[in-house]
Amino acid sequence: MPVYIDISRCIGCRSCEVACKRVHGGRGHVNVHFVGEYASIPIFCHHCEEASCTMLCFTGALHKEGERTAFDITKCTGCGLCHLACPFGVVWTDKIAHKCDLCAGLDSPTCIKTCPANALSTDFEEAARRARTRSAIIAARGGGR
Amino acid sequence: MIKVDAGACIGCLSCSTVCPSQNITRTETERTRSIHWKRCKEECDLCVELCPARALALVPFDESVPEPEVTLDLVACRICGAGYATEPMLQRIESTLPEKVQRDASGLAWVRVCPVCRRKIEAERAAGQLVLERRRKSI
Repeated sequence: MPVYIDISRCIGCRSCEVACKRVHGGRGHVNVHFVGEYASIPIFCHHCEEASCTMLCFTGALHKEGERTAFDITKCTGCGLCHLACPFGVVWTDKIAHKCDLCAGLDSPTCIKTCPANALSTDFEEAARRARTRSAIIAARGGGR
Repeated sequence: MIKVDAGACIGCLSCSTVCPSQNITRTETERTRSIHWKRCKEECDLCVELCPARALALVPFDESVPEPEVTLDLVACRICGAGYATEPMLQRIESTLPEKVQRDASGLAWVRVCPVCRRKIEAERAAGQLVLERRRKSI
């Protein structure tokens, strides 16, 4: 259940970054990147099915909990291997590791609830439906080549 | 006190983080990371237990033994050149992860790229998709 991003909707306001920091005691796990002047993209943990960070974690602090890549703060030694093992650079070590936990304990991730542009969701069906609609419109206009 | 197997130490941040008495200090420059173990009298072996490389051992206190120190060079990111990790840490990642995940779709050996550049690459890849989509829309 990762957070799906509809990048065509992202307006680059960085509300998700702020919301994430607010609920995680000042340490955020979202990074909004700006590519040139034309795109803004929030970079998130993918909650990989076979997560590299969990494979490198030798204490079991990072582990899979269903679809979530969960983190047990009491087991972390702060070694930093997970930080280097994440292909997307979205696990941080700052004395101890921290990463997106999909706001464990809350009913849905705060970044999703906060995003004013509705660019984020955990609903794969919704994300896929939007993508299909967009390609259908493009095809109807004779594009897509 | 702690005995260090300097050849086994991977230069990670574990022991210095877990030591409750701050007896293990870490100094980092742009190109090197040094770890220094003070001669401690405690019988605590938290760092020994939590060393991922099993490089530490608890030995009786001996004032004549010099305080151990390990200095490792930081590997430069292949893209931005910043020192971001020690070579043994990267080797541990390369030997643990399945080979097929160690290169991304473009063939890049991402383990040798720093996490900051990894995020940038991901953003640029996503932006590329967005531009492609916009171009199609404008046809």
